[in-house]
Amino acid sequence: MDVAQGGPIMRLEGIGYSYHNRIPAVEEVDLTISEGEKFAIIGANGTGKSTLMQIMSGLVHQTAGKIFFRDQEVSEQALKNRSFLKYFRERVGYVFQDSDVQLFCPTVLDELLYGPLQLNVNEDEAMDRAREVMKMLEIENLRDRPTYMLSGGEKKRVAIGSVLTMNPEVMLFDEPTNGLDPRTQCFLIELLVALSEAGKTLVIATHDLSLVSELETMVALLSENHRVAKIGTSEEILNDEALLLKANLIHEHIHYHGKEAHKHSHSHFLFHRHSE
Amino acid sequence: MKSKIPAFLIERTSVQPYVPSKGRLKKSFIEKGIDHLAEVIKSGYVQWETSLMDSIFHRIDARIKLLFLLFFVVIVSLKHQIVPEFYIAGFIFLLTLIAGLNTLQFYKKVLFLGFFFGFLVALPSALNVISRGEVVVPILHLSRDYNFWVYHIPAEIGMTREGLNAVSMLTIRVVNSVSLSFLVLFTTPFPEIIKALKVMRVPDSFIMIITLCYKYIFIFVKTVEDMHLAKKSRTVGQVNNAEARQWVGARIGSVFKKTQLRCEEIFKAMLGRGFSTEIRLYQSRKLSSHDIAAGGIFLVIGGLFLWM
Repeated sequence: MDVAQGGPIMRLEGIGYSYHNRIPAVEEVDLTISEGEKFAIIGANGTGKSTLMQIMSGLVHQTAGKIFFRDQEVSEQALKNRSFLKYFRERVGYVFQDSDVQLFCPTVLDELLYGPLQLNVNEDEAMDRAREVMKMLEIENLRDRPTYMLSGGEKKRVAIGSVLTMNPEVMLFDEPTNGLDPRTQCFLIELLVALSEAGKTLVIATHDLSLVSELETMVALLSENHRVAKIGTSEEILNDEALLLKANLIHEHIHYHGKEAHKHSHSHFLFHRHSE
Repeated sequence: MKSKIPAFLIERTSVQPYVPSKGRLKKSFIEKGIDHLAEVIKSGYVQWETSLMDSIFHRIDARIKLLFLLFFVVIVSLKHQIVPEFYIAGFIFLLTLIAGLNTLQFYKKVLFLGFFFGFLVALPSALNVISRGEVVVPILHLSRDYNFWVYHIPAEIGMTREGLNAVSMLTIRVVNSVSLSFLVLFTTPFPEIIKALKVMRVPDSFIMIITLCYKYIFIFVKTVEDMHLAKKSRTVGQVNNAEARQWVGARIGSVFKKTQLRCEEIFKAMLGRGFSTEIRLYQSRKLSSHDIAAGGIFLVIGGLFLWM
């Protein structure tokens, strides 16, 4: 079942960011994300996906352009307002690429309770949320374990859980499948589908084309010059082999059939097919 | 999976639009501290960028520059008059111009350190309570002299001429030494400095400590910065100083644990690539005539300063 998509929930206008005011990370990015939508930002390494996600979550602030959440401008100044900060943080959750840095509490349970307690959710309800999320993510056995004693997959589940207990409307995932084993990847994809069906707006930064294909997202492709090269459905983007090749998301692959050399575009998921 | 989605996740947070209200959040001391930590990465980047510039001074071999640094720091600490110290300061200023460094930024850093570690640290020693002499800046008048244990507190307390001279000497020495160090640091890539230290027979353990510390600072700052962002993404409202201190206290433990684990991993990676206890670096290039000429000029100028 697909949840009907609403109006724009997040809008980016001419967003630009450069590190140390010298190294460009993102340039003139315009995006509109609708409520309930699954939206992927894809691009090769270093195209500015993570920076863009951190700008969207109001954690770093753009050096050019404007960003709006439900028509409210999200700026450094706006986030200094107590009520706007609460309004924004309880609606937008961010799952970091590196779970290690996201997990800063002593145990898994503390991690899951941190967000809701910050949002002034009462302790009983926060505990209920943590319990239900642990059950859904199958991490009940890790409840009292220190976060540094978890495996990569477990850390990812706890990191997602720590945001889920806040029940945000928009969830931003930075490279969610990075470094996960196939079973955890599969679990994660199922989870993302279920969250989308539950009405969450999902924004995913990735270069994993299979994830984009499985979730059938809207896609914005970032080029190596840190700009949006194309926005379209996953089908439109993934079928544009020339664009993917140019964006360094697939590569030319040469191999031999007997003595005959053979060349085709190659990605480890979608494009291992032989053209005529 | 769908059947497992908890009911609270299907509920919408609130359909109410945002209603603006007053209530500003102040920047907490943690946030300010993290901003300063982020500056560390930026200054590292600036050092890397300026060290790759091209000038006559940049082209001098790192070994010559390190010897120049050592030689001049010794000269700076041997001089007992303030005038030669000013000449040395002038010479360093000339070198920063030749190196094409941003002199304003350069001296901002140098004077800041010189003020704290030279002037402020030494200032109390200018009082006649510590250094005897002619009082030129009176501060306080007491009714009589006091004798306490081995201390003598005179009736008139103030700065002495001898004390002020000593403070000025120490300040200019600190300024000169810091500017010499910064000059070499900003004109030499870090790996070249390490290689020069190795060539100059500095013990391997010392080089390893410097190299790892340098890397550790960046890894540590990045970890702290990312952790702060992770906290920020789940924090609403003002965090008071007591809570902030509590959070920092608790996180010091977890950062220590994380960096300790990272350290073990790095050491395993070093072992995996054949590290024993000796640091092996590839052969340094031979000194060119340009390097030898520069070394000779530094030697002559240094000799002149010593003679003055």
